[in-house]
Order: sequence, then C-alpha cells, then structure tokens
Amino acid sequence: MSSKQRQFEALVRSLSGDLFRYGYWLSGDEALAHDLVQETFLRAWRALDDLRDTAAAKAWLITILRREHARLYERKLPQFSDVDELDIADEHEAHTPEFAGEENVIRKAMRGLDAKYREPLLLQVLGGFSCEEIARELNITPAAVMTQVFRARQKLKVLLSGDEHEAKLHELS
Amino acid sequence: MNCLDFRRQLNIDPHAADTAFAQHHADCARCAEALERSLRFEGSLRRALQIAVSPQLADSILLAQATREQQQRGVRRRNALLALAAGVVLAIGLGVSLRGASSPIAALAVDHLNKEAFVLAMRQGISDDEVRKAFEQSGLSLANVPAGISFVYCCPVGPYSSVHLVMPTSTGPVTVLYLTTPVVAQRETFSREGWRGVSMPVGQGSLVLLGHDAGQFERVEHLWRSALAAPPDAAPTRS
Repeated sequence: MSSKQRQFEALVRSLSGDLFRYGYWLSGDEALAHDLVQETFLRAWRALDDLRDTAAAKAWLITILRREHARLYERKLPQFSDVDELDIADEHEAHTPEFAGEENVIRKAMRGLDAKYREPLLLQVLGGFSCEEIARELNITPAAVMTQVFRARQKLKVLLSGDEHEAKLHELS
Repeated sequence: MNCLDFRRQLNIDPHAADTAFAQHHADCARCAEALERSLRFEGSLRRALQIAVSPQLADSILLAQATREQQQRGVRRRNALLALAAGVVLAIGLGVSLRGASSPIAALAVDHLNKEAFVLAMRQGISDDEVRKAFEQSGLSLANVPAGISFVYCCPVGPYSSVHLVMPTSTGPVTVLYLTTPVVAQRETFSREGWRGVSMPVGQGSLVLLGHDAGQFERVEHLWRSALAAPPDAAPTRS
C-alpha cells in the first residue's frame, strides 16, 4: 500500500464521522450526507498532494464538503428527517429520559434554525473551530461569527426554556 | 468584566474563558449559576448534534475510492493502447522509414522471433501439404510451395495473423513471416537486436524476412513472391 493510500485511509477512518454529522446538519438528510462525505473524500484523494499540514486536514475537508454541498444542493432547502428516525451516536450516562427529551428539543430547534445561524454553531460545536477560524471558512468577519453563534444559542435556549424575555436581555446589538 | 459581558460570552463560547471571565465568575454568584446552566446546555447541544454514524461509512468510502481508482486505471490503460494503436496505424499509413530506427512491424516481428527462437534449430524439411494447410488456415492458397522449409505454423504477431516459416539456407536460417493483412505500405529494411530484416507488401498481405545474414533474402523473397503470386489458373486468393 502506498504512503498516499495509507494517509487517505487514516483520514477517512478518523474524520468521516465528523464530516458525516456536519453534512447531515448542513443538508438535513442522511442519504445526502453520506453522498456528500463520499464525494468529499473522493475529491480529497485527487488533491491529497496539496495537503501539506495534517493538522489542517479537518478544515480542508470541511471546505471541500461545503463547496460540494453548495455545488450539488444549494438550491435545495434542508428537509430534515423525522425526529424518530435519528439515533444518538453513543449511549451516554447523561442520556436519562430528561436529557434525551432536551436533546430532541434541541435537534428540532436546530432544524428550524436559519442556515446563517446554524452553520457557524456547527463549526464551533462539531468542528471545534475558533471564531477566527470559522470567520475564515465562512468568509465573514469574526465579529459576525460571534453575533451569529450568540443568536443561535439564544434561539435554542429560548426554545428550551420558553423564556424569550430573558434571552432578549442578552442579545447583542 | 460586568454581568452583561459575562452573559454575552456564555452565548458566544462558554469554553473560551479568559482571566476577566474567570474573575467575574468567582465574584458573582448569579453569573456562576448562569455558567453552570450554560455548560449543561452545551453538553446537551453537543449530544444532540452527535447523530449516529453507520459503522460501515469509512469502509464504503474506501471501497468507492478503490473502485473509482480501478476504473480510472482501466481508462488510462485503454487510452494508452488506443494511442499506441493510432501510432502504429499512422506510421504504417505514412510509410515511415527512419534511419537507425525500425518500424513497429519490425519490432513485433523480432519480438516474435525471439520468443520462438528454438524453431531456428529445425533442419528437417516438412511436406508441401503441411505448408499449404497452414496457408489455407489463414484463408490463402499458394501457387507453389518453395522448397527447403523446416517449420510452419500459424502465429499471431502482435495484433496480426501470420504464417510463420523457417527456411535453412547456406548462410543460416531465414525466418519468413507472411502477415495476412497489408500491414506495410512499402519495402523497408531494418536491423534490430542483431537481426537483419526486410518487410514488403506481397500479394494481399505483407512479407517479412529475418535472419542474421541478409545474403539469402533476395532469393527467398523471389520464391515467396512466386508462391504468393496470382497466376490466372492458381491465384493465391482467399478461400
């Protein structure tokens, strides 16, 4: 097996799960997310020689996936699957019925979130990127990223608590 | 940092706490409670986003990559063969004859000869019938059978059908290849890998002679031109 093939396999095995989740929340459909991730990696294989810094691999792959999503599905609005169709990735100690209920509410709220709020939040929570890195990826200012993740959290918390008044108190202007 | 700044930071990134954030957290009990609530929310948010991933996802991607690679290798190979074939056809069509170099048919003929060099050692003559049968298998009939043939067999030479013969002579064995299609457009002599050769159009096909010594080529060529000629009553036609 060539070193290029080994590098590719390592990337697929370590990052395909994260990319799939990102693709799902971007496209709203598991099958589309699968196609997106597969196409992303096939494009990555052809351009693997361009990847100089392995630490930047995740950001590089997410850039490819976002472009691929824009190319293929930008005219389609996300049509999220029903709540019941989705599973939680790992059984976790905190998955008590109470928490599971809260997570379902969050998922539902995420699906209803405008893409301009949802995407920076996904990059921050799923991708682990800083506001500066998200700004570079989305080609907007770091201040705009901060505003968008602030509002995204605020909207989600409002839906969870039902207390819109309190949330509004902390809104950036 | 005041309470408003602290609460803003909670919604921007509750994990990105600096010194001022930590100080306010220590000084303000209500904001400390807000941080606890925010961290609980972050945990729920993270779990909510962690949808299930098929355990076969990575393998299916690797399979798709391997399959596409294989297909592309096939396409590249086909293109290379097509390019090679186009080159051969072009060279034949133009009647290319380069000094110091040899034509594609010369390369094919020498390659075939090297693979079957053992037949050069055959000295015992074979019957005319065997020779005629070999040509008949290739759809040809001979006007006559030249004397002094020690080997005959229908062989593929590269992509071409041929009748392969050996004729021992006083200067060594001469290999005769009669290609049943008009592969060469004009007479061409060549030298390759220690072999002397000549190719030419004869009848409906092409005649190639090979040997270490070309001294007998003219005589052998005359014999085969005669055998493959098309006399009115015994034409070497395709049967």
